[in-house]
Amino acid sequence: MAEFTCNLKFFRQRKDLTQEQLAELVGVRRETIMRLEKAQYNPSLKLAVDISRAVGAAIDEIFIFP
Amino acid sequence: MKNKKSRWLVPLLSIGVCVLVSLLAAWSDLTYNSGRLVYPMDSSYSFQPSDIPMLLALTLDAFCALTLLTLILREAIFRRRREAERRRTRQLNPRLGFLGLFGFCGFLGFLPISELSTYTPFVFFLFFGFFGFFYEGRMSNTLMDERFQENVRRAKLDAYKLGIEIVLLLVIANGLIDCSPELRASVMLVVLSLTMGLVLFLQEYLLYRYDQQDAEGV
Repeated sequence: MAEFTCNLKFFRQRKDLTQEQLAELVGVRRETIMRLEKAQYNPSLKLAVDISRAVGAAIDEIFIFP
Repeated sequence: MKNKKSRWLVPLLSIGVCVLVSLLAAWSDLTYNSGRLVYPMDSSYSFQPSDIPMLLALTLDAFCALTLLTLILREAIFRRRREAERRRTRQLNPRLGFLGLFGFCGFLGFLPISELSTYTPFVFFLFFGFFGFFYEGRMSNTLMDERFQENVRRAKLDAYKLGIEIVLLLVIANGLIDCSPELRASVMLVVLSLTMGLVLFLQEYLLYRYDQQDAEGV
């Protein structure tokens, strides 16, 4: 899996969302959000777009690939 | 709830009617037809008009059984479709895993052949795969998001890979080892049944393990 840094937690908390709420918004399980925040899961483009819309941040700000 | 009740009412009523008609036909056959179609007959059977009630009852039973089978299959297909639409795994009781105990019936195949004169009990080893319901039950009604589906593919791939490796080894060993056809057939049946059971079980077990590993963030 490609290594990357994930700033999802920062943007999620900025939006005042819990992992559960964000998971429901983008239609995944809470565990998936947890894995994403730990940069242990490489999301599909669709999920990345959904998340970026939900937290109101650009994809390349949330997921930073070297 | 009413819908659910009425869904079961028709099949139950038809079973009831079938049983009643069969009992009446059997009574009529025993009373007026010397029990021709109730007692076992030899191959010298020839049709008599007095056979009609019993034959009609048997036809009705067969039709009823076929209709019930169709209804059950249709319900299963609709249920699967509904679950796919809901994007959730099917709801299962983990206790169904105890069906895997039937796998031990496979050991009946090791009884001396003269007692059973068949290899078929070995097929029961396949039931060991049903132990996988323990794990599938624990994951019932889980949202199938993209990571879950990825884990499903991963688990299936790993299970099938192992299964294919075992079958390949079996085929190679089959070609190399010289033994009697009976022994060869029984070994093939045992290994193939066990492999199929293992693959069925591993699909669920690995999925559960991958999912739990992910949940724990390992």
